[in-house]
This record gives sequence, structure tokens and C-alpha cells, in this order.
Amino acid sequence: MGTYLKLAWRNLWRNRKRTVIAASSVFFAVFLALAMRSMQKGSYDFMIDSSVRISTGYIQVHAKDYWDKRSLDKSMVLDPEVISKISKLPDVTLVIPRFETFTLVSHGNATKVSPIVGINPDKERTILKLQEKLVSGKYLTGSSKGVLIGQGLAELLKVGVGDSIVLYGQGFHAITAAALVPVQGIIKLPIPEMNKTMIYCSLSYAQWLYSAPGRLTSLSIMIDRPNRLDEVRSEVKKFFDDKYEVMTWKEMTPELVQSIEVDSAGGIIMLAILYIVIGFGIFGTIMMMTTERTKEFGILIAVGMKKTKLIMVTTIETIFISLIGVFAGIVISYPILLYFYYHPIKLTGELAEAMLAFGVEPIMPFSIAPGIFIAQFWTVLLIALLSAWYPFRYVHKLKAVEAIRN
Amino acid sequence: MIFMLAWKNVWRNKKRSLIILTAIALGLGCGLFASGTMYGMWDSTVNAAIDRDLSHIQIHSENFKKENLIGNYIPDGLELKPQIEKMNGVKAVSVRTIIEGMAASATSSSGVEIKGIIPDEEQRVTSVAANIKEGKYFEGLSRNPVVIGRELAKKLDLKLRSKIILSFQGPDGNIIYAAFRIAGIFETESSLFDKSNVFVRQQDLFSLIGSKPIVHEIAVRLTTVQIIDQVVNKLRNKYKDLSVETWQQLAPELSISYETLDFELNIFLGIILFALLFGITNTMLMSVVERMRELGVLMAVGMKRIKVFTLIIFETIMLSITGGIIGMILGALSIWITAQKGINLSLFAQGLSSYGISSHLFPTLPVSYYPVLFIMIIVTAVVSAVYPAIKAVRLNPATAIRMY
Amino acid sequence: MKSVISLTFIYLISICEFIFSQTAKEVIQKADQLMRAKSSYSEVKMTIVKPDWSRTMGLKIWSLEPEYALIYVTEPARDKGTVTLKRKNEVWNWIPSAQKVIKIPPSMMMQSWMGSDFTNDDLVKQSSIVDDYTHKFIGEENIGEFNCWKIQLTPKPEAGVVWGKIVIWISKKEYFELKADYYDEDGNIVKTFTGGDPQKMDDRTVLTHWEMVPVDEPGNKTILDYDKIEFNIATDQSFFSEQNMKRVR
Repeated sequence: MGTYLKLAWRNLWRNRKRTVIAASSVFFAVFLALAMRSMQKGSYDFMIDSSVRISTGYIQVHAKDYWDKRSLDKSMVLDPEVISKISKLPDVTLVIPRFETFTLVSHGNATKVSPIVGINPDKERTILKLQEKLVSGKYLTGSSKGVLIGQGLAELLKVGVGDSIVLYGQGFHAITAAALVPVQGIIKLPIPEMNKTMIYCSLSYAQWLYSAPGRLTSLSIMIDRPNRLDEVRSEVKKFFDDKYEVMTWKEMTPELVQSIEVDSAGGIIMLAILYIVIGFGIFGTIMMMTTERTKEFGILIAVGMKKTKLIMVTTIETIFISLIGVFAGIVISYPILLYFYYHPIKLTGELAEAMLAFGVEPIMPFSIAPGIFIAQFWTVLLIALLSAWYPFRYVHKLKAVEAIRN
Repeated sequence: MIFMLAWKNVWRNKKRSLIILTAIALGLGCGLFASGTMYGMWDSTVNAAIDRDLSHIQIHSENFKKENLIGNYIPDGLELKPQIEKMNGVKAVSVRTIIEGMAASATSSSGVEIKGIIPDEEQRVTSVAANIKEGKYFEGLSRNPVVIGRELAKKLDLKLRSKIILSFQGPDGNIIYAAFRIAGIFETESSLFDKSNVFVRQQDLFSLIGSKPIVHEIAVRLTTVQIIDQVVNKLRNKYKDLSVETWQQLAPELSISYETLDFELNIFLGIILFALLFGITNTMLMSVVERMRELGVLMAVGMKRIKVFTLIIFETIMLSITGGIIGMILGALSIWITAQKGINLSLFAQGLSSYGISSHLFPTLPVSYYPVLFIMIIVTAVVSAVYPAIKAVRLNPATAIRMY
Repeated sequence: MKSVISLTFIYLISICEFIFSQTAKEVIQKADQLMRAKSSYSEVKMTIVKPDWSRTMGLKIWSLEPEYALIYVTEPARDKGTVTLKRKNEVWNWIPSAQKVIKIPPSMMMQSWMGSDFTNDDLVKQSSIVDDYTHKFIGEENIGEFNCWKIQLTPKPEAGVVWGKIVIWISKKEYFELKADYYDEDGNIVKTFTGGDPQKMDDRTVLTHWEMVPVDEPGNKTILDYDKIEFNIATDQSFFSEQNMKRVR
């Protein structure tokens, strides 16, 4: 075996140009497949990330039945130690306590029904990023006793910063929750429905208002690698008994999962088509390499080299070429994709404007999830190795005399 | 002359040329078909949304856009209808009375949009009547018939002929409760729509609220969507105080996803062409290397380098165009064939429907796609030919003849 | 002799009853009127029972039939002073901590009132068990020591009521509404009302203990205990005003 390997290796370097051409066709295949998949995966991740940010987080802990009933009676008290342990889990970037409920909000003659969310203002700086959405007024602090409201809601209620609005609802165990609170800031939220309704306040204020000291309705967990979702979930689950539910965004927002699946199906089809194209490219190259060497093969057989040996050597050569191509593809693609991962391509033009208006950052994000690299490594390698079938057949059928004559 | 020579050269190594031809043809053919399918999916989604309730153009009062209160109706809305119907390109007009309210059964209640319509007219603008899956469209019941969506029926645990109580705030601020009976249950592609809309006869609403006929929304269906901008401009000039919007403005998420799709498909075709570019370069490079000796001879006997360069370029273009044309024919044909009957995705329909996507799609591709693609193929061919051509031209005839 | 007279008297009464036999509607009407008056004032303890907690509120209720009612919360401390005003179809709340009157928007009408199993809607619904239904005797039954008529109420087609039917048990002698089952159109019970603990209140004897049990939410119920009722108090519409919401104690 060693001799075959040596022989094949030597053959590769005997005709460097040929080797480079063949390996580069594999390399380009890997590169293009990676680029495509990275963009696809990147855009799904981006979609997921931007929507879980404003809604559920990747993973959410709540008291049992909260998700179905949405009642404050199903809120929970979490041990701060457990929270800090969760935040120290690998892959967990942030744990976000929230207290959400509905309230009547009134000013003058106008009364609306609004969701109100008690947040930890410091943590939400990187999640909800409300400080960037302020149109006027001040962002919340941990002890704020004012609220931030959507611009649309402010218009409907005809209030400005400094005016006070009345909140009226039911607190924990149906205790009346009512207060006159100052509007501390007005925020412009990109989704019109939210802009017309949302109210945010500090967590401590919400807990006070709703007679629920120390209670949370949910603990959202953000993670940095979406593909580790299930592992993190089972780690988090270990901290809780069956009085709690630990749900992933997939369970909480099935519509998002479906819309991504639809998109993803399209993406897989595109990828399959790309494989066809690059498969033919690689096959063509390998075929050329082989036919070019007809004379060489003929002579080798004529001087007594066994066909099986020759087949062995050429197959090993193809494997080498494929491996070189695939490795080069991954090694060279990685830094490029890494660059684009950190510096996503900014979109311009009509699409960008439309996306901005819809509250989506107009970028073309890339993913560097290891899964992509592994999948493309094996797929392209497989395609390349399938092409090895050609030299195998070719040598098998070769007639030495004719080969030399031609 | 040079064309003939190039064409002959393309077929000198049949196997090699066929492989790259197949790659181009399959790549483009499948690519076009996939694009067609995806455009078709979005087309049917958009059409479904237009048919469902958007129609092409909607008119509201400016205040209604800010807050849909019963008082924010279109002044003299009913008089507008015949005026709009007379306009060129308008196929049908439906005037709707829209009230936010609650629908309740004995077991549950849910917030809904109550749409008061004139059944015959609505039928010409949207497809609620056609989407009725159970019962009839406002038929079979003499008093207060209502048509509701399947999702709402499920949520409130109601069946055909069941009683449903609609409550809403009347113009004087009083809350009105009224019993309706379910004449029909509709089911559309959008479960959200099915959960939040109930249709009643306008006359029933007016007698309940005891007011003169009021209209909040005028939905306009055109004979063809192409003239939408003209009609919108005319309407805007005519009714300066009202808000006149196209379906794109009413459902911005639809146009965004359309543009995103367009962008994605362009990138996709770009990558495919890029992959082909490399395949073509490789093929031509081999073809040149193989013919070094011959090319050397040609140049030695006085063939100009520029001619050799052009020859290689032409060979590449011909090879690519042949593959490209086959691919485009394949793509166009497969789109045409599947478009006859459409592709039924009902296997995934459950998932698709909550996303508002129609499960029956008709692949389609804008005709402008083909010439653009054709030019792109030529550009790709030229780009991929440059390196092999340079390689050929750089040959020193003497060495070439000696070496190869 | 005396007993003979009384026996005859009883016999006569029962004959009268037979001759002037009341319609089901009249029975319902009488039962309804027993609890109602042109106006009334009552003090009530409302207990909300949930599977894992319960809480009791003290209420003072003024009413002027049929369109006005005002409810003042006396306890617990955090809710004290909260006032709910029902005026025709509208519900208003006075929130002392914010010094503000809020009108409950239509979309909130189906929400629970003060956390109980009653909705805001239940407070204002104009539907009357007398006018919105057709009534039919469907039998007799004993509930505890009370011999009752069992009457089925079927909503009139135009009435804005969600129920398929209501079955009410009314004691023959006292016209106590001892029990009411609310059905959906498929004939399933949705909620049950029961009354008990008859006591003399003001000029009449009425049931003072009421329970409302939503059938599909096990473990939940709302209990009303009347401590005091005064019928036909001196009041008028001006009492049920926004201004008075802020003043009433």
C-alpha cells in the first residue's frame, strides 16, 4: 500500500499543472458550495436572531402553564443563584428576566389596551436596543419609575415626554394594579402593530406595580451558537423540576420555524443544482486528466504493470487531488467567510430601504457554523470521489497497443 | 469563416464538450426551473392575498388608517362607489363597513374584525365566496347570517348554523350585542385571516347600529394589475382627502419578501454562473493545451495572434451558448409544462398555510429573465475564455511545435 | 276547628294555584323581582377561588334598575376605593391611586372583572332572563329542603345571548332561584350558578350565598356572600355619575 501511495504522490508532482487544475476545480466547488450555504444559513440565523430578540429569546423558562394561560398567577420566583449558574453555562451569552402582562393605558379621553414589559434596562441594551430607538426622552435605568411607550401609542394617547399616563390592570393574584406614571421616553418601533401598543418599564417597577415582588413571567436565554440550542436547553432543564417549562423558540414560534423551513427547502434545491454544476465540472476535469494520460497508461501496461495496480494508483491520485482541493477549499474559504461573518455585506437600494422600513437591518449575513463546513467537506469530497470512477473504468478497458499507437 | 472553424473545433473532442454542455444545460435548466418555482410560490402567495381580502387598491379615510374606529368612515362613501366603478380599468368595487369587535360563543370569545359587505359585490372583488368550505355564502338563513373562518370556528367551538354573538361599540359609544348564525365557514391560505375576520351583510349592521349607511373601506379590483399605478394616481387626484393605497403598500411584507426573493435568486444564478465559469475555463484550458502543437503550427504559418485569440473566444462562446440555449429551453419547457396544471404542495400545506402561502403553485418566470441570462452567459463565456486564450497567444510557435 | 279552617285554607290556596296556574315566565319574573327592586344597596363579600389561591374582597353595591350600578371596593387595602360604575352599556372605573376615571374599552369587556369569574360584560349585559328568553316548565325537583320548579329558558333568536339554553330551579314557595345551569348550543353545561343560605334582608327573605362555577375550569369559582341588602333606597341617576365615583365611600 505504501508504495502505491508514494507512487501516486509522485505522479501528482510530476505534472503539477494538471494537479493544480484538477485540485482547483474541487477547491472552487467547495468554495462556492460553502459561500452559498453560508449565506443561506446566515440569513436564517439572522432572521431567527432578529425575531427572537424582540420576542422570546432562544430559550425561555417559565412556570408551568404560563405559556398557555399568560396569567400573572403563573409567574415565578427564580433563585438568583440559578440565574447566575445559567448565565455561566457554555454558549449562553445573556439571560434576560422579563415581566410581561397586559394593561389598560389611559390619558385624557383615550384608553387603549397595551402589552407592558418590565425589563432589565442594562441587559436589554444589546437585545431590544430600545436606547437606539428613542425618539425623545430618556432610556430606562434599573430604578426608573417611568415608562417608554411606542410612538404610535403616544400619538393615539396624545402624550409627550413628561406627561403622565394611567396604567390599570390586574396584578398577581388579581390584585388591582393601577398607577399614574410619567412617560420617560418615546420609542419608534419598526413593526407598526408594536409601535401602536408597546409599553416598557423597569423590571422593579413592573414587579411593584403588579404586586409581584421578585417574580418574573419569563427568563429568556440568548445563545451565541444557534446550532447548540438543544444542548443548552437540556443543560438549562437540569435546574428546574416539572413546575417549570423550558421552551425553545421553535416551540414558542412555530410560524417562524415553518417560514424558515419553506425558505430552507428552496435553499436546498438551489444547493442541489449547484452540486450538479460543480459535479460536472469536477468530472470533466478528471476525465480530461485521464484521457490525456492514455499513452502513459498504455506504456505502463505494456511494460508489465498490472491493471489493478494502475487502477489503484490512479484512484489514489484522484483521492489525493480531491482531498487537496477540499482542504484547500475549507482553509481558504474559512477566513473569507469569517471576514464576512463579522463584516456582513451591507445592502443598498430599494430592497435595503424596504427592509429598513420594516425594521430589519439591510445586511447580507454569513454563517460560520461548523456544520456547514463539515457538510460541504463531505458532499464535495463524495462528488470528487465519484468522479474517480471514470479513470477506474478507463484504465480497466484500456488496450495497451491501441493506447500507445494513439 | 472563423465561426465555422470555431464550431468545428468545439466538436473535435465530443466527450469533453458534451460534459461541459451538459453541465451548462442542466445547471441553467434546473436553475431556471427552481427560480420559476420560487417565483411561482410568491406569485400565488401574492395572488392569494389579493384575492383573499386585499384586492388591488383600497381607499380609507386618513383617520381610519390611524385608528380604526367606527366614526372614522369615508364621508359619502356610498356615493364614491358608482364614480369609481365608471373609471377605466376598474373591474369591480366593494364597499365595506369595518368594525373592531368581539365574537363570542358560550365557551369562548375572540377579538375580530367585523366586515359588513354587500355579498354580491364582495364576491366580484375577493374570493371569500369561493373559499367557503362548509355551508353557503350568505344563503340558507333569513336573519343575521354570518360567514366566519375555520380557525375562528375552531377557537369558539362553533359549527355551521351555530349562534355567534358579535359585540362592538356603536357610533354613540354604546356596546351592541347581536346574535348571528353561521351560514358558511371559509378557509383560506392564511390561518391568521381565518381567525380574525367575520363577514356579515351590511344591511344587518346598519339596522343594528341604527345609523345611516357608513363605509370605512372601498376595495377596488382592476381588470389587470398592470394599470395599477395609473388608476391609483387618478384616484389620488380625485380624492385628495382620502388614503389610496395599492396592495404593495397595504402588505409591505409581501413586497419585501418578493424583493428579497429576487435578490436571492440573482445571487443563486450568479453562483451557478460562477461555477460554470470555472468549468468552462478548465475545459478550454485543456482544449488549448491539447492543441498547442496545432496552434503553434497555425501561428508559424502566419495566423495572426489576434485571430488565434478570437478563435478561442469564439469557441468558448459557442460552446457556452449552445449549452445555455439548451438549458434555457429545458428550463422554459419544464416551467411551461408544470405551469399547465400547477404543482400541488398540499403535503406541506399545513406549514405553508400558517405562513399565508398557497399550497398550489404555478411556476412562472418573467420573460425579461431570458435575454438577461443570455447576455450573462456570453459574458461568462468571454471571461472564462480570457485565460486559455492568453495562454494560446503567448505560445512561441517554435517551442510549441517542438515541445508538444 | 281551627285546624279544619287552616286545612281548608291551604286547600283553597292550592286550588287557586291550580286555577290561576302561573306561566313559567311569571315564575321567572317573580324570582327575578325577588332579588331586584327599583333600587338597592348591598354589602357583599366576594371570594375568588383559584386552584392555588383565593382572596376575598369587600364590596358596596348601589343599583338603580335597570341601567345603573356602582360598586365600591372596601377591602383589601390595596384595592380600597376602587369604584366600578355601570352606566347603560358602559363600564367605568375610578382608580384612586391615579385619581382617574377610565372607561373600559370594548376589547376588554370579555376580560375578568377584578379577577373574578365574572367578566366586565356580565356586569353590563342588558339581557334579561325575563324578556330575552322563552320559558317552559320541564319538571319538578327537590334541591335540599326546597321543592322546585325546573324551568328551561330558550333565548329568542334575536337576543344577543351566547347560551343555547338555561335551566333554572326555582323554589315553589319562596321563589328562590336555587340553581341555574348555563348550556351551550350543543347541550353541554358551561357554568353553574347556585344560591343558598336564605336570610331576611330588609323587607324580604332572599338567598345570600351565591356560587358561580365555570365548568371547564376546575378549581375555579367565585362566591358572593351578602351581608346586608336594602331595597328601594332613595337614589336617582345623578348618584351614578363620574363625579360621584370619586366621592362615594
